[in-house]
Formats: sequence, structure tokens, C-alpha cells
Amino acid sequence: MKDVIGLISANYSTDKMEGLSDERSISSMPFGGRYRLVDFSLSNMINSGITEVGLITPYKFRSLLDHIGTGSAWLLDRKKGGLYILPGATFGMSRSSDRFLLCDVMQNEAYIRRSNADYVIVTSANIVASMDFNPIIEAHAASGADMTMVCKESTRTSNFLMGIKKDGEKVTGIIHGVEKGETAFLDTFIVGRELLLKFIDWYSAKDYMDIFDIMEPDYEKMDIRTYEYNGYSREIFTLQNYFDFNMELLDPDVSYRLFDPQMPIRTKVQDCIPGRLLPGSEVSDSLVSSGCWVKGKVDHSILFRGVTVEEGAVVSNSIIMQSCIIRKDAVIKDAVIDRNNVIGAGMIIKGSPGEIYVMKKEQRTEENVKGRY
Amino acid sequence: MGRRKQCIAMLLAGGQGSRLGALTQNIAKPAVSFGGKYRMIDFSLSNCNNSGIDTVGVLTQYRPFELNSYVGNGAAWDFSSLDGGVYILPPYETQTGGKWYKGTADAIYRNIDFINRFNAEYVLILSGDHLYRMNYKKMLKDHIEKGAAATIACMEVEWKEASRFGILSVDDNDRITKFAEKPKKPESNLASMGIYIFNADLLKKKLKEDAKDEESAHDFGKNIIPKLLAEGKHLNCYRFKGFWKDVGTIPSYYETSMDLLEEEPEFSLYDEKFPIMSNSNIYPVQYIGEKATLSNCMINNGCRVFGNVKHSILGIGCEVDEGAEVIDSILLPGCIIEKNAKVIHAIVGENAVVCADTVFGNEDEIEVLGNGEKYKGGE
Repeated sequence: MKDVIGLISANYSTDKMEGLSDERSISSMPFGGRYRLVDFSLSNMINSGITEVGLITPYKFRSLLDHIGTGSAWLLDRKKGGLYILPGATFGMSRSSDRFLLCDVMQNEAYIRRSNADYVIVTSANIVASMDFNPIIEAHAASGADMTMVCKESTRTSNFLMGIKKDGEKVTGIIHGVEKGETAFLDTFIVGRELLLKFIDWYSAKDYMDIFDIMEPDYEKMDIRTYEYNGYSREIFTLQNYFDFNMELLDPDVSYRLFDPQMPIRTKVQDCIPGRLLPGSEVSDSLVSSGCWVKGKVDHSILFRGVTVEEGAVVSNSIIMQSCIIRKDAVIKDAVIDRNNVIGAGMIIKGSPGEIYVMKKEQRTEENVKGRY
Repeated sequence: MGRRKQCIAMLLAGGQGSRLGALTQNIAKPAVSFGGKYRMIDFSLSNCNNSGIDTVGVLTQYRPFELNSYVGNGAAWDFSSLDGGVYILPPYETQTGGKWYKGTADAIYRNIDFINRFNAEYVLILSGDHLYRMNYKKMLKDHIEKGAAATIACMEVEWKEASRFGILSVDDNDRITKFAEKPKKPESNLASMGIYIFNADLLKKKLKEDAKDEESAHDFGKNIIPKLLAEGKHLNCYRFKGFWKDVGTIPSYYETSMDLLEEEPEFSLYDEKFPIMSNSNIYPVQYIGEKATLSNCMINNGCRVFGNVKHSILGIGCEVDEGAEVIDSILLPGCIIEKNAKVIHAIVGENAVVCADTVFGNEDEIEVLGNGEKYKGGE
């Protein structure tokens, strides 16, 4: 097998999250009851046997670094290789459609230069997928291409996904936005390490741009191929994406595909006690994490760790994040409740399926009341 | 010699726990699953860490693989210190040959080097298979304040139970005056919890003497403690108040587990300041299907429930398929209850399978399906 290092671009932000990303980057958005989005790309690296991984941090990196620590949860605190926290170029924050800014790579040239690896696999931290990179690496090595972009027939129309223009096998350019059924770039590519270093020499004048935009005049000159990925993958750019793709986990087929025991998605471990469904609780079609304490009714919802749902409370089609308390007879429908909120007795919070209600972190609290951890 | 440690712990984890039958068929008792995501040894390891003890020797013997791989270097219980940590101490060969650990005292005797290596002033001796939450720091403080040679943790038990334990008689200052191992007619109801703190020098001296004594069973309760008492040494009794249980039999395992399902369980797993830690595997969040019904249960990571569960504990990674029913039961990690199967008043072992359309268990006695076994119905 070829020697490969990883690079995760988490320097991507958005204003399309209705307050959920006020204090955190997309990469550290809580997902699926116990994960953060970055868990997927980090797990994909280690599950593919890549043990030298650079993580380009976003502008708001506190919650991300808090989550990642030394990388031990992903077995990346090691003597040889391991996790490298790489500073992102801060002006990435305002250009929310770019994932792979050249200046991020330039800023961290040393990480790439110091390695002896043949290839660099680059991925973004807003993708939900359990992806084995090995077949991609093999296909790339076998083709002898300069770069291989991972792509898939898009299951939806999106303004944020990149589309790919092709002539035969070769990529001839990119388009911003894809229609359903078109070939979408999954924000994951593999490139020769030395070629990536050359990009810095060639294009440094345009370092504020996304690598795929910079290359625009040169696609024809290079040999860029695609790799068709058939597994489950979802890319999160907006609140609606975030809500929909969380909810997709309630489909047992989706969770079977995403949570393959051979490719476990790792996350920071918290020693929560087992979840408790007490007498009188009615729970269906939901994810109920450890540390939860449920006496009320929960339907088609995701409860993160340590959520309390008291008697008579009803939660439906909603995401309740860590340590929230839903008091007696409160009703929550079509909503995302961010961490550490206490929803008072009898309170009614309703969005609609098309317009999800969002309550930001710690908006409602009660004195001396703290949710379970 | 390393930096001087005030107190290190030696955790006896070699026990077979034969009265737990099928549950300990292929693993040691401290490795037996409890509460769905814990193993027995989690409680003493968490207690050590929460009490600020950073060096623990784990003495293993019976079927150690599962236990060794579970404990690892102790990082899961937050033991990571440059000059401490968790060490597995199995029996070993020396120039004069090797033997199994013959008793609790012999196990410690043969690891005197470990105590020396950390240059410990006090040695805390524990069992790896008891359920309790205890701050050993308080016990150590009491030991030091009383100026005792050794301190035994004890608690009041019901008089009718007293003859099952090592029973202590004490004077007004809680100095031990008498120690009786499982007495027929107990003089007191203060039972030893099998938790000892010794001054290290005295312990080493007594263990060496005991090792030479061919009559000795090399056991703390039977030999070391009575001998110290006979010599007039100051043995101090530290009274522990709270929940403590040696879950030794299937009925007691079942009852203690089921008590976790009470709204205010006698032993709460939840304590933010004194958390029980475990080396849990990585599993996705517990999923409850559209047609599932659950009432009064405890449910762990990786569970997938499509059937009906009532008054039960579901360990990590369990699956209850459509139409299956689980009532008054404990499912240990990784077991599968197939379609339309019924499990009632039973314990299903780790990674065991109850096949479709079968009924396992009955209302009268607690049935146990061993780890990894497959129940296909019939006898």
C-alpha cells in the first residue's frame, strides 16, 4: 500500500444554521445523538489505516479542540504521525462556500513538506459518511492520475455542492451547485503530495481562493479523474440539511450503512450512565442516548446525551441536544433545541416541517438547575 | 525506586466466582457485565481514581484474557500518570519455579516487588468484584489519624446475614477486639467488606512470615488479620455507610441489577462528582423503532429495539427484533433476541442469541443463557 497522509479541512463556516453555529464551526456541530460532524472524517482516516492526519481548524475552534483533545479517541495520539492541529487562515470564515482554500494549505506547508508520503487524501469536516479511503487510494495509484476526486450521483439539488464537468474519464472543470442526478463532488480528493506542494508555487497569488476554482484554467492540462463512491454520504451546509440528515438516521437502513461495526465511527467518550425509559414513557422511532431520563412521550426525534423528558411532556420530530430538560407537559414539535436549555412546564414550542424552530444554546435556564451530563 | 507514593492499591481480581454459574463460565468474576455497560471491576477502579489513588496493581489468575484486555493500561478510568497507572499482575515463574496464587495474601506476597517499586507508605487491598461507591481517601485519613497498623472497612449488616461474613467486634474507639470468619453465632453485626489498608512495612513483614507458614491458607481473613490481632496490633475499624454488595450468586446478581430500574435505586449509577467509569466500546446511539414499545427499562449504546421490552436491562449492542418480547430480564452486551422470540425472567449472556419464535425463561426461576450460546428452543 502507498504511504498516505490525511488532511481534514474544517475551516468552513456558514450563516445558514440559524444560530446553531454562532459559537461553533460546522465541524463541531453535534450529530446523531452523540457525535460531532468531524468524527466522521477523523474516523474515516483511522479506519482506512491513515495515522498521520492534519486538521485545519476553523475560525471558531474552541468547541472543536475541546472535542478532539489529543486525538486519543481516534487513536491519533501517537509517536509516529498522529494528529496535527493546523491553524486555518482566518479569512476563510467569510467565504463560506469554499472548503479547500489554498491559503490554508500554504499556511501549513510544513506539515505536507515534512512528510515522506506519496499521497495526501484531503476531506472536509461537514460530510456524514463512513468511507474507506483504501479503494480510492488504489484506484488513484492504478490510474496514474494527478488527482482523483470522489464523487457521486447527487440525491438532491444543492447550491452548495460542487458539480463536475467531464470529458470521457477526465475532469474538465467544476460547477458550483448541482441538480439532482448530476455528478456531485463529495469534498474528498487524493493528490500526489509533491503536486500539492507545486500548487503552492504555481498559484500562490490566488491563495484566497478554493483550490478547485484556482485550477479552472488548467483542468485541461492536468489529469484529474473521478472515483464513484457508492456508499451513504451526506454533506451538511444548511439548517435544513442538518435537520434532515440527522432525521435520516431514524431509518434503520441508513444507520446500518453508516454505522458498520467494521468501520466504527469514533467519538470522544463520556461516561454517561445508561439511558432510562421510566414507567409511563412512550418512545418510538427515536434515538435516545445514554444519560437520558424519559418519562414523557418521544416520537421521531433524537435525544442527545443526558436529556430529561418529564411526565406528560411530548417531543416530536425534534432534535434535543445534550443536557436539556423538558419539564412536565411541555410540547416540542419540529424544533432543534441546542444544549443546556430548560423548557419550562407546559411550554409549547412549535416549528413546522418546512421551517424548523431553533432555540440557541442556554437561552432558557433555571437558577441552580443543571441538566444531567 | 520510584517517587514515594503515599498509597497504592492492590486489586484482587483472580476470583472465579463459581456461584455465578454460566456468567463466569469463560470470564473472571470482575469481568462480569453489570448494568448493561459496566463490568464489576469498574466500580473499584473508578473508586480508586475518584479517591485520588493513581497506582493500582490488578492481580489476575482465572481466565484473565477478557479482563486484561478490558483493563488495558487503565486509561479508561483516567489512570494516566507518568509514575503510576494500572498494572496487570499475573502469577509468574521465578528461578525456583512458578505457582498459581494460593490465596489472597499469597497473591500480594508475590508482588511485594510491586509495592517496593512504588515505595508506598500504605497499601490498600481491594476486591475487584464488589458494587459500591467509596472514597478511600476518607478511610486512609481515618487510618492515619487513629495511628493504626491496619484498617478494615466494615459495615453493619442484618443480624440474620451476619454469619455469611467476617465479623468484627470493636471497642468504643472502633479498635477491633475480635475477628471471626463466618461465625455461627455472631457477636456483632459489623461485617468486613474485604477492604484493608496496611502500613506497607508491616504488611510486607507479615506476608513474608505467612509465606513460610506451611499451615497457613495464605488468606487475609483467615490468617493475616487474626495473627495481627493475636499480636496485639492496633487494628482499626472504618465504618462505611452506603451501598455495598458482593454480588456472588445468580439471584443476588438478578435482584441487584433489577433494583437499578427503581426510580430511586438503592445504588445509583449516577453521581457527577464520583462517576463510575467504564471502558465502553464505540457504538452508535440507542435506536428505538417505530413499532417498539418499551416500559421501565435501561438501555445502552448500540441497542436496536424493534420489539417489546418491559422492566428489563439492555446491555450495549443488544438487538430485539420485531415481535420479540423481553420481560423482567437482563440482556448482557451484544445479545440478539430474534423475531417473535420471548425472554422472560432470565439473564441472556454476552453475544448470546435467542432464536426466532422460541421462549426462553419462566416465571419461577431465573434462567441463564451462557455467553455466546444460542438458544434454539426445546430443552
